[in-house]
Amino acid sequence: MRVGLAAIAIVAAFALALPLIGTSYQVYLAELILINIVAAVGLNLLTGNCGQISLCHASLMAIGAYATALFTARLAVTYIVALPIGVIVTTLLGASLGYPARRLSGLYLALVTLGFLEVVSIVIEEFPDVTGGVRGLSLVKPDFIGLRLNAEAIYYFVLGMTALATYAGWNIQRSRYGRAFNAVRQSAVVAQALAIPPGRIKLVAFSIAAAFAGLAGGLFTAVVGFIDPTEFDISASLRQITFIAVGGLGSVLGSVVGAVMLTLLPEVLRGAKEYSDVVYGAILLGALVVAPKGIVGSLGSLFGRNERKARQP
Amino acid sequence: MTWRIALQLVLSGLSVGSIYAIVALALAIPFKASRVLNFAQGELVTLGAYIGLVLTSYGLPYAAMVPATLLVAAAFGILIERLFIRPIVDAPEFTLVIATFAIGIIIRALVRIHWQDNTFFLPAPYSGPALPVGPLRVNPSYLVIIGSTTLLVALLVLFFRQTRYGKAMRAVAFNQTAARLMGIGVGRVFGSAWALAAAIGALAGLLLAPVIGINPELGHLMLKALVAAVIGGFGSLGGAAFGGLLLGVLETYAGALFGAAFKEIIPFGILIAFLLVRPQGLWGPTQARV
Repeated sequence: MRVGLAAIAIVAAFALALPLIGTSYQVYLAELILINIVAAVGLNLLTGNCGQISLCHASLMAIGAYATALFTARLAVTYIVALPIGVIVTTLLGASLGYPARRLSGLYLALVTLGFLEVVSIVIEEFPDVTGGVRGLSLVKPDFIGLRLNAEAIYYFVLGMTALATYAGWNIQRSRYGRAFNAVRQSAVVAQALAIPPGRIKLVAFSIAAAFAGLAGGLFTAVVGFIDPTEFDISASLRQITFIAVGGLGSVLGSVVGAVMLTLLPEVLRGAKEYSDVVYGAILLGALVVAPKGIVGSLGSLFGRNERKARQP
Repeated sequence: MTWRIALQLVLSGLSVGSIYAIVALALAIPFKASRVLNFAQGELVTLGAYIGLVLTSYGLPYAAMVPATLLVAAAFGILIERLFIRPIVDAPEFTLVIATFAIGIIIRALVRIHWQDNTFFLPAPYSGPALPVGPLRVNPSYLVIIGSTTLLVALLVLFFRQTRYGKAMRAVAFNQTAARLMGIGVGRVFGSAWALAAAIGALAGLLLAPVIGINPELGHLMLKALVAAVIGGFGSLGGAAFGGLLLGVLETYAGALFGAAFKEIIPFGILIAFLLVRPQGLWGPTQARV
C-alpha cells in the first residue's frame, strides 16, 4: 500500500509540474490522456465490473461534448455551468438507453449499442444547423464567468476533474454498487438470489458510465476547440474498449494504465501514422487472445497478489 | 404516387435488399455453426471486391475471375478462423464481439493503406443501360443481384437440408459435444463455415462493384445486414433473406416519402425496436432472458 501511495505521489508531482517543464504539445497530449482516463474509468465500471458490452461509449462522449459546446456557443452559458449540464444531459440519455437495454446482454446488447451509436452519428450529421453537421463545430475558448482561461489553467482544470473522476470511480468500485456490479457480471441469477436486482444495477452502471463519458466529452471541448462526428465513431468506441482490455478489465488502475499507454502509442509510432489503426487492432486482438486479464491483471497474478478476480464478462 | 412509381420503388428496394440479404446470409452461417457473430463480415465484402479488382488487373476474364475470387476469399476465411477465432471460440461473448471487430478494423486499415480512399469501378459484362420491362425501367445489374440472391438462398437451403456436410454443420450448431461423438470434425466444420461466409461476402462485393464502386467504406453496409439478420432471427437463413428484402423496401419507401435523413435512421430504429421487443427475430429460436 505504501508503494502505491508513493507511486501516486510521484505521478501527481509529475502531472502538476508538466506545464512548467513540457512543451505546449506535450501539455496537449497530457490533456488527451487525462480525458481518455475519464472515459476509460467509466467504461470499465460498465464493461469490466458489470459485464455489459457497450459499443456506444464514444457517442455518449459525443453527446457530452455537443451538449457542452451548444450551451456555451449558442446560449452563451459560461463553461463552468455548461459542463455539468452536459454531464446531466449525457447521464439522462445514457439512462434512457440503459432502461430498455437492461434486459439484454451479450450479443444483443452489442447490437443495441451499435444501433445507438449509428443513430447518434446520423442525428449529428443530419441537423447541420444545430450541430454543424459533418463540417464540425468550432468552439469558443472556455471562460469561467467572464474570466478567460489560459492554456495552463485549462490543463490544471482538466487534471483536477480527472483526479476527481478517477477517485470517484475507485470509490464506486469498492462501494455497495461496485460489489453489486461484480455480482451481476459473475451471475445474474446468483445476484438475484442475494437480493441484488440485476436490471436496476445494470441501469445504474449505464448511467454512471454515461456520466463519465459526458464529463470526458465536456472536457474534450475545452481542450480541442473543435469537434466533428468522426471523433466519436465506432473506432473511437473500440479505442476506449482497447484501453480497458489492454489495461485490465474491472480495475481502475487498469483503465489508467491502458489510457496512458495507448494514447502515447501513436506518438511513439509517429513515423508509421497510417498504420495506427492496424496497430490498435492488432494490440486489441493480441490482448484478447494472449492476455485476457490485461496488463494489470497479468502483473497482479505474476506477483501472486491476491487481487480481486478480474474475470471476463 | 402513381402505381408505376410505387412498383419502381419496390423493385429498387428489392435490389438493395438483396445485397443486405446476401450479407445477412453470410453472417448467419458461422453463427449457425459456432454461435460467433462475425462483426468483420462487412470487411470480408470489401476484401472480396478488392480481390476481384486485383485478379482482373492480372487479366483474368470475368467468367474466370468470379470463381477465382470466391476461392481466394474462402481461403482468407479459413485463415482468419484458424488464426484468430479458433483459439478464443470458447471465450465469453465480449471477447468474440471485440475480436471480430478488431479483425475488421485491421482489414479496413490495410486496404486503405494500399489503395487509399479512391473509388474503383469493376465493370461487369452485364452492366449497361436500363432495360424496359413492361412499364418499368430496370437496371440489368439489379436483375443480376436479385437473381443471384434467389439462387443463393435456394442453394443454401438445399445444402443445409440435403447434403452430408450441411447436416454436419447443423449438428454442430445443435450440440457440439454430441456432434463430436458422432464423428463429425467440429474444427473442420467451423473452418468451412467461415470459408463459406467469406465467399458469400465476396460475392456481395462483386455484385456491388459495378453498381456503387469499390472503396474501403464498402463494409459499412454490414450494419444494414445486421439489422436484416435481427429482423429474420439469427441463424435462420430464410429469415435473414426475408429481413434483408423487407429492410431494403422499407428503407427505399421511407427515403421516397420522408426524405434522406429518415431513410438513414429507419434501419436502426427497426433494429432497436426489434431487439427490445422481440430479440429472437421473426423466426429465431426463443431463448430465456435473465
